[in-house]
Amino acid sequence: MSLASGFAETARRLGQLHEDPAVVARWQAWTGPLLSRLTPPRRRALLALGALYVVVRRPLKEMAPAVDARAPAGPLVGAMVVVLCLVVVALAYLAARRFASLPAVVRGRPQLWLHGGFWAIVVLGWLVPDRGGAVALTFWGLVLALPLLLWRMGYLLLSGQRGRMASTRFSDHLLYLYPAYGGSNTPYGKGLDHLARHEAGTDEALARSQLAGLKLLLLAAIYHGLLDLMAGLVYAETRAPLSAHGLGLSRLEALLPAAGRAPWTAAWAALYAGLVWDVLKLAARGHEIVGILRVFGFNVFRNTYKPLLAPSVVEFWNRYYYYFKELLVEFFFFPTYVRRFRHHPRLRILAATLAAAGLGNLYYHLLQNDAFLLTLDWAGLRPWLEARAFYCLALALGIYVSMRREQRRRGATAATASLPTRVRRIAGVWTFFALISIWADASSATFGQRVEFFVSLFGLR
Amino acid sequence: MRQRHRERVLEFLRTIQKPDRPLAAVAETDSLVEAGLIDSLALLEIVAFLEEQYRIDFAATGLEPELLTSVSGILDLIERESR
Repeated sequence: MSLASGFAETARRLGQLHEDPAVVARWQAWTGPLLSRLTPPRRRALLALGALYVVVRRPLKEMAPAVDARAPAGPLVGAMVVVLCLVVVALAYLAARRFASLPAVVRGRPQLWLHGGFWAIVVLGWLVPDRGGAVALTFWGLVLALPLLLWRMGYLLLSGQRGRMASTRFSDHLLYLYPAYGGSNTPYGKGLDHLARHEAGTDEALARSQLAGLKLLLLAAIYHGLLDLMAGLVYAETRAPLSAHGLGLSRLEALLPAAGRAPWTAAWAALYAGLVWDVLKLAARGHEIVGILRVFGFNVFRNTYKPLLAPSVVEFWNRYYYYFKELLVEFFFFPTYVRRFRHHPRLRILAATLAAAGLGNLYYHLLQNDAFLLTLDWAGLRPWLEARAFYCLALALGIYVSMRREQRRRGATAATASLPTRVRRIAGVWTFFALISIWADASSATFGQRVEFFVSLFGLR
Repeated sequence: MRQRHRERVLEFLRTIQKPDRPLAAVAETDSLVEAGLIDSLALLEIVAFLEEQYRIDFAATGLEPELLTSVSGILDLIERESR
């Protein structure tokens, strides 16, 4: 056995420790009666208890950019927003429980009604005349706090639509609606249907899930360390370790407004380094969240799984931000796929991909644009919209082309491709995502500046 | 009847599975995606197969992608929609 293959085998065994029966048995013996006491209902109850804290904490955090808690009306507005968010969630729960008795027009498009309700609140908040009053501030607080709950309530309504609500309680749903394990607007672990499907039912399954979770938590700590090292050695950020020896590379957001005046080597380096940084950061955060879920017995997929080794654009998209991709697939891709162009297979996939990676992606990020949600200032939205819409379109087309290529390539597995071919494919994927990130970066650069930056990469000014 | 459906479904799955994995090695209730037998793109073809062969209208019934990742899930769906 060569050194390289020996190293690979050791790494593989270490990575699969949680599947090793001897290790699982040792973990069971070590944790002893604690595992037996942590039955599924008790684990759910613990997460639901954590959710009670999040019920209060998270809306206050989300509304903070618009409502100053130290202002005279601050505490009252905060309390109102927390209660109203809970009322909205309770209404969504009731709607899901009685899904079959909802009016047919709602049953047909429940997600549309959910989002329509949110936009009604946005418009009402915009119409309130007294901008500084408690009513207006409460609307603002709601507008900023509800996006966290929207997609989660979407999964709740899907449960109702699929007839899965009968044996569940409100507290079961609270644990993902207000996740004590953390998360963004994207529900990591999806809704209760998905969580329950991956819930450990035996002590052995729980032990395996916990070991897998601990592995992710360890990996998250390692990734955080790598991010610190990268901040020092690559970006030479003063507070990071080893920054004195750093390359001092600029970040993309610093180069974009310069519209291509940076040396092309620095520009390319910023793009690739930015891609690696983004992947590490997302993986670290996702591993923490999924790690905690697994410790609590929900052995769900990782959010990020080696995307930098993906040999195709569609594979990268699948591995980079799994729960965001799943959200787009469930709420945009499949609803389009089963309704539109059923007798035109290629057009059908193109339309569904544009609906998900294009339109759905754009809409998801619009819901994170606090300034727009509070002011409905379309003119102010334009620079962001132009860049983001272009990014989403390029991403969707890239994914579509990649899907078609993968379908044609089916039969020849990645393992049969030669090493140079695999390296070439991976490099192509890196380059595609690095290049389109020019239009996804949150900098204030205009669309034109981003285009100038892009053409400067090829020596054109 | 289920046996006949099973044979038809397995025959179809063999046309879209990855060539280096034996279909027989995967339990009927196991996820074919997690077992590495099919990729997530194959789900689109499974949907098209069920629409075409069994006249299932997912626009009307709703689609739960995770149910289509196992042989038993597909068979249950066929039986439910054939009633």
